[in-house]
Amino acid sequence: MKLSSKIFTALILVFLFAPIVILLVFSFNASKSLSVMSGGSLYWYRELFRDAETLGAVRNTLVLAVSAALISTVMGTAASVGIHRLRSKAVRLGYEQVTNIPMINPDIITGISLMLMFVFVGRLFGAATSLNFWTMLIAHITFGVPYVILQVLPKLQQMDESLAEAAMDLGCTPLQAFFKVEIPEIMPGIVTGMIMAFTLSLDDFVISYFTSGNGFETLPIRIYNMTKKTVTPKMYALSTIIFFTILALLIMSNLIDTSAPGVARPMRRERTAEQKKRLRLAGGIGGVLAAGMIALMIIGAPDHPVLNVYNWGEYISDGSEDCFNTIRGFEQWYRENYGSEVEVNYTTFASNEDMYAKIASGAVSYDVIIPSDYMIARMRDEGMLLPLNFDNIPNYENIGESFRGLYYDPENQYTVPYTYSFVGVIWDAERVDEADTGDWDLMWNEKYKGDILQFNNSRDAFATAQYKLGLDVNDPDPENWSRALEELKTQQPLVKSYVMDEIYNMMESGEAAVASYYAGDYFTMLDAQAAGVDLRFYVPERTNYFIDAMCIPSCCQQKELAEAFINYMLEEEPAVANAEYIMYGCPNRVVYESEEYAEDMGEEAMEILYPNLDDFAEKYNRFAYRNLDPETLSLVNTLWEELKIN
Amino acid sequence: MKKNNALKHVQRAVLAPYGVWALLFIVVPLFFVAYYAFTDASFHFTTDNITRFFTAKSQVTDAAGGTREVRTYLLIFWRSLKLAIISTVICLLLGYPTAYILFRASERTQKILITLIMIPMWMNFLIRTYAWMTILQDTGILNRMLARIGLGPMHIIGTETAVVIGMVYDYFPYMILPIYSVMAKLDMKLVEAAKDLGCNGYNVMKRVIFPLSLPGVISGITMVLIPSISTFYISQKLGNGKFYLIGDAIEGQYTANNLHFAAAIALLLMIVLLVCMALMQRYANKKAVA
Amino acid sequence: MRRKIIELKGITKAYDGETVLDHINLDIYDNEFVTLLGPSGCGKTTTLRIIAGFEQPDEGDVLFLGEDIASLPPYRRNVNTVFQRYALFPHLNVFENIAFPLRVKKVPGAEIEQKVTEMLRLVALPGFEKRSVTSLSGGQQQRVAIARALVSQPKVLLLDEPLAALDAKLRKDMQAELHKIQRASGITFIFVTHDQEEALSMSDTVVVMAEGLIQQIGTPTDIYNEPQNAFVADFIGESNIVSGVMLEDRKVKFHGQVFECVDEGFGKNEPVDVVVRPEDVDIVPEDRGQLRGVVTSVTFLGVHYEIIVDVQGFKWMIQTTDFCAVDSHIGLSIEPDAIQIMHKSKYSGMFGDYSSFSNEFDELSDAEEEE
Repeated sequence: MKLSSKIFTALILVFLFAPIVILLVFSFNASKSLSVMSGGSLYWYRELFRDAETLGAVRNTLVLAVSAALISTVMGTAASVGIHRLRSKAVRLGYEQVTNIPMINPDIITGISLMLMFVFVGRLFGAATSLNFWTMLIAHITFGVPYVILQVLPKLQQMDESLAEAAMDLGCTPLQAFFKVEIPEIMPGIVTGMIMAFTLSLDDFVISYFTSGNGFETLPIRIYNMTKKTVTPKMYALSTIIFFTILALLIMSNLIDTSAPGVARPMRRERTAEQKKRLRLAGGIGGVLAAGMIALMIIGAPDHPVLNVYNWGEYISDGSEDCFNTIRGFEQWYRENYGSEVEVNYTTFASNEDMYAKIASGAVSYDVIIPSDYMIARMRDEGMLLPLNFDNIPNYENIGESFRGLYYDPENQYTVPYTYSFVGVIWDAERVDEADTGDWDLMWNEKYKGDILQFNNSRDAFATAQYKLGLDVNDPDPENWSRALEELKTQQPLVKSYVMDEIYNMMESGEAAVASYYAGDYFTMLDAQAAGVDLRFYVPERTNYFIDAMCIPSCCQQKELAEAFINYMLEEEPAVANAEYIMYGCPNRVVYESEEYAEDMGEEAMEILYPNLDDFAEKYNRFAYRNLDPETLSLVNTLWEELKIN
Repeated sequence: MKKNNALKHVQRAVLAPYGVWALLFIVVPLFFVAYYAFTDASFHFTTDNITRFFTAKSQVTDAAGGTREVRTYLLIFWRSLKLAIISTVICLLLGYPTAYILFRASERTQKILITLIMIPMWMNFLIRTYAWMTILQDTGILNRMLARIGLGPMHIIGTETAVVIGMVYDYFPYMILPIYSVMAKLDMKLVEAAKDLGCNGYNVMKRVIFPLSLPGVISGITMVLIPSISTFYISQKLGNGKFYLIGDAIEGQYTANNLHFAAAIALLLMIVLLVCMALMQRYANKKAVA
Repeated sequence: MRRKIIELKGITKAYDGETVLDHINLDIYDNEFVTLLGPSGCGKTTTLRIIAGFEQPDEGDVLFLGEDIASLPPYRRNVNTVFQRYALFPHLNVFENIAFPLRVKKVPGAEIEQKVTEMLRLVALPGFEKRSVTSLSGGQQQRVAIARALVSQPKVLLLDEPLAALDAKLRKDMQAELHKIQRASGITFIFVTHDQEEALSMSDTVVVMAEGLIQQIGTPTDIYNEPQNAFVADFIGESNIVSGVMLEDRKVKFHGQVFECVDEGFGKNEPVDVVVRPEDVDIVPEDRGQLRGVVTSVTFLGVHYEIIVDVQGFKWMIQTTDFCAVDSHIGLSIEPDAIQIMHKSKYSGMFGDYSSFSNEFDELSDAEEEE
């Protein structure tokens, strides 16, 4: 290679591996930050191996990818043989064009089209859940098969026609000729196609996002849903492990087959007997594994009840960082108190709207969901919630008076509050003058141009403007929203970034100096702030108060079990663990009156999270979001798009 | 020959499962997109969704501070297309030489490089995009390194550049691999013949290698352009939420539970892309025949 | 005086330490049809590639009209090549393939049109302009490749076994065609082949190569009638090569018999190789023969019989129109001018005895010809 080529190649590789190096390094970070390195440790690896939900998602991803790859390979190879033999040019062209569709259609369209069909067909047959593992598998096979055909068909076309004839001439039946002569000839194409189908399935997020359903969460979806809280180095640790696993597999596969994966290369005829043996061995192991996995999916369905819980990402004490594992805790508690087994299938969503879209599609079935207040009001109005039987939830008495009879559930029929919090302003005392703080004007202060972060979700962003202007966040009058939009447009030149979970990274590292976010999350940032950053927090007079509450949607299949779960969540141990994990306010008296809890949280947190609770209900009912009617929602969406295209 | 015919029958029969599958899960779903696009929430026929795409208007503030009216979705679409085209062109400019270097390298080097290029594709792309944030932000790795050698901070995150970097990064291998695999099949004798007939290095590239690798280039362009036009995660993370692309619009309508309008946008996007691809394919075929 | 167009001086080339060309010296003249002939691995293709510029010699000079061009890249050399498998550009049609070198030189369109048309006429393919090269037969592709190489009027045309991929009949036609084209264009052709018949029928000069060395340079007649060593004698046509001793000028002794011959200038009692072509041996009754032997096999080949005769344990091949039965005892008689005397060489004793003769061996060694 020439020197210039070498330099060019080196630069390309630096570009390709820069982010990989970053995540390798930060996976060993001692702190939670993804931007500031504070000493090396294996902490996040230990965390990863304790995180049953994430490991479950990894397992799901692998089950899906292996099954999809194998089925795609078999179907795709068979299809290639069929297409190759087609006599009619027109039919052949038709097949080729249809096969091209999933490859040239954007995945968002493939995802949406399949979702629309599954939902429609599901409704037609009145199925309780039409989106599940199987729909995802179908989707993944659908986009995997074309890639297998893409690899296998050219190999068939290159193959000498007389090979099969020679084999039959020498006494093979047609079937034997196919398996003994043709299959080995096209094997490199089959293997490459399978690897491609596997790779695409493994990394697919968009199509899975639209076709995923009940309780089957893959890794990409789980990562996407972490956007309410933050992506921790735990995920980097996982990526690091994946990286080295792949490296090992690649080195091994290079020993088996010399052709690079993903690329059609000239066939190698001289494969030694040893290599063939290894190839067969690898194929055999893969086949057995996949068959086992699929069998597990079919017959391995547990004979005990499964409770489907649908919650925000990173919104439960899950056993990480030495905290209590609420989910396993419930399973154990249930066994002890009811004497029978139960399994919790816990999955996550990224926003109320995502959750609503899934439930409203009628294609899923969940037993417990934890939406926010305004979404609860909407679902209640639309008959999507079931009234609770409070006889099964005796611990409801732990809920503080201030958190009962609120607007979204005035009769206390449908909900049990889980957390509450409010929006405040986080500021970096190193860069922001304390005199400028106190109200919403800081977010519009020219002095901090380019250092301000605004919400990247329409309702919260509009609300900051409305509180600032003294408008009612729930007023459907278009004028109200237009004024808020104008205010946001004024702010736009000052805004560095519209953020959700990215706020952690940006505030902790000093990338930005002013941001509004939810009270509890401020403490997370405080813990991870870099040297030279001094984060503070205040709550403007007029601001959003919100409550997330546990409810049972009408698609629930196990109502009593769901109520038992809700009841358990109010017990002291899980409730304290959750409150300490999420760091939002907790409406549960056994929590906020616990001295141990107060001690763990620290004085500042207690002061911010538990101001005078006596006027909470009054403030809450005044400032909380209400459900907006469809026209207003659509208007907000349109105005938001208008802001975003500026 | 009877045996042989039987074989052919068997082999045609094995096509059936895929035929049914392709019909049910590739063709029919597309009709559902069209069906939703042309119906309202109660599944009555309407063209409102389509009309809305073309007519919805917004006020935007331009650099001078004045406001003007724009067609919301056409603008969003145009911006997506622009970013996607920029990314595709950069992918091509970087990817073609890379593929060429691969093609000229020794077999051993080729194998190692291909593997290295493939590895990042197996890492979750959400996580990789997240890692780019760490690199590109104002106080990020890149700027800290620049500061150390005395260069001023570069503001990249939240700009078009950052979004383009993200797209180029994620889809780069999809440009290299098809070009490379076409080149790998190229007969080196043709290169010698061209040199013999008076071509210098540049002319060999222009008159022989490039035209012959055109099918690879076309499929590379397709494989980069399509995902980058419809992405919504990269623009959210690296664009600081300031780039609202067609993918964001579809996803936004989906989460707002407005499936019918989402379907309409998807349908129009699909039609535009199919037309583009058909044109490009035709151009390529013409080139190949000429 | 003929002009030297290419001179190779002391060319040496080695791959991975294995010498392919060993100090080759070769002059090639204007308007000449030169054939490099030799078995596979003899270095003939390497010689061609060095002239074309695809390979750099390790040692030695390549002169083009007296100027050293060793460092000149192929595209700057006034030498074009017709490749073994033609290397036509699949993305261009017949016209554009031929026009290719002119387009590179930015020749005006009208001139290109005229030259290409002329070339197509020369190679007998008029009207093929718009055809795709992949749709042509082997012979037609061959002609396009020649036209493409000739269109920019090189001083020298290199042909690397261009007929190897054609069937026997087509090959014969193309041989005649090539010869005609060479005469018509007046360009020096350097032709590489391993087929001695091809070499003899087309060339002005034949260069026989083996093991990286030039064995003999001469006209086809010289090469056939006066081979300079056992290798050449054996490689060109069929030869009986017997070990003998030159007793004095015009007297040689082999098989214990003294024969008259026409060669002079060898040392007294010098050991030599004696070559007798199979068609030059006369069969006579046993008692009248200079040599006596027993027929061990007879093969009918149409124009003649090919018989193998055991003479004192040495197997002679004789081509004759007279039938002799196997096991019959016959006499052999050789005219003085049918005897060619050669100095001993390292090839002595390796060839010329037909005891293990088989047509198959020849075919096998042909099949191993380099790609």
